[in-house]
Amino acid sequence: MIKKFIHQFASPKTYLFQVERAYKFILFFSLVVYIVSLIWGLFFTQEDFIQGNSFRIIYLHVPASFLSQSLYVSMALASFVYIVWRVKLAAYLVISIAPIGALTTFIALTSGSIWGIPTWGTWWQWDARITSTLILFIMYLGLISLHSSFSNYEKADKLLSWLAIVGAINIPIIKKSVDWWSTLHQPASITLTDKPSIDPSMLYPLIGSMIGFFGIIICLVIISSKYQILIREKNKSWIKEYV
Amino acid sequence: MKYLGLELLKLRKKTRSWLGPILVFWLIMIAYPLTIEASQENLEIGFFSVLWIAILLSMMFATEDIFTEDYNDGTLEQTLINDTSFAYQVALKVMIHWLLIGIPISLLSFIFSLGTNGNLSLSLLILPFAMMSSYIFLNLFVLGNALSLNKGSVLGAIITLPMALPVLIVLGKSITAIQLEINYSGFIFLLLGSLSIIIVSVPIVVSYIIKAHLE
Repeated sequence: MIKKFIHQFASPKTYLFQVERAYKFILFFSLVVYIVSLIWGLFFTQEDFIQGNSFRIIYLHVPASFLSQSLYVSMALASFVYIVWRVKLAAYLVISIAPIGALTTFIALTSGSIWGIPTWGTWWQWDARITSTLILFIMYLGLISLHSSFSNYEKADKLLSWLAIVGAINIPIIKKSVDWWSTLHQPASITLTDKPSIDPSMLYPLIGSMIGFFGIIICLVIISSKYQILIREKNKSWIKEYV
Repeated sequence: MKYLGLELLKLRKKTRSWLGPILVFWLIMIAYPLTIEASQENLEIGFFSVLWIAILLSMMFATEDIFTEDYNDGTLEQTLINDTSFAYQVALKVMIHWLLIGIPISLLSFIFSLGTNGNLSLSLLILPFAMMSSYIFLNLFVLGNALSLNKGSVLGAIITLPMALPVLIVLGKSITAIQLEINYSGFIFLLLGSLSIIIVSVPIVVSYIIKAHLE
């Protein structure tokens, strides 16, 4: 039954019709959650003892940083699915995620730089976390340029998938960079194993902003993948029905 | 063994392919003192940074046309249907490039280091770092070149350069450790570990990528 479900959902047609239904709800819910969390975090939490009001950028920086890495992981997983099982939808998702991943990484780098000025006294430092995130950003751009340089979509998908899998080596480096090297960047405040080191009054809006931001990014990925499917499947009869 | 000899002969005959990267390295190292006030102190400050970047660029040039000619004349297709594993043949090809280009560049690194700082023990330590880093860079650029086969080497360099940056960071940190006389063996093992993974995995991945190009 699960196999049947996967095979059904792996069809671009089913995917397109299913996400079409869910898309509006996800977008509405995510926007509400993100805006509420943002207002809560910006206006109704106390200022940080050391960092003052500058800490409030976490409601943009943390979700963007988290998603920049998560999107790459999902891209690598989709690449694996495409290479092993030749699921076309997975290939469409890989190239759809790449520009959104580049955007979130750019937001993470920019917001981090803005945050760096009042807290570190510098907007940029060549430390392990920041440099590895910059590498991630360049990786995303490289993936996009590699795909666009081939007119044969199938070949481009295969090569892109291989590069995405190889480039995934950067993700554990980014994640563990604050532990492996001495860096200006602080270690993670929220982990799966330890109690959060952040005060609950700041934590709850942060979790809300992460959920909201995640939903917004999912919607962007849906839009991007819809565009990919419409281009790639333009000669199929069901596309005419859909359009 | 037959394939090894054949690849060696092919590369040796293409003088531009193996001599070019060595000359590029040489020229960068010679150009470096010309760009600053040539006092001993000034030269030593940026020397190792220039050295690692020169190795990186030379390796990039070394892989510029590693598969292009074979791809255009159909040799790659023939190699693919050969009995010998294609990944193994890729690994041999990379090794030959390293022997003819990486090793001379590593030896030149030692000579330039000795000439700049006059410290024999430090310059001898540069040798293994240069050998390992050149092999790692070579493998990474081979990967980029395989991905961008027939699309120009610039694209290949763009997509693989980010992967080379952590190696540059490790190289920079290892020199600092050596100069501060603190334990640097960790960096050697880190590079060795990365190299052993890369030597095995890159030829396998490259073989699949080239198959994708030829399908």
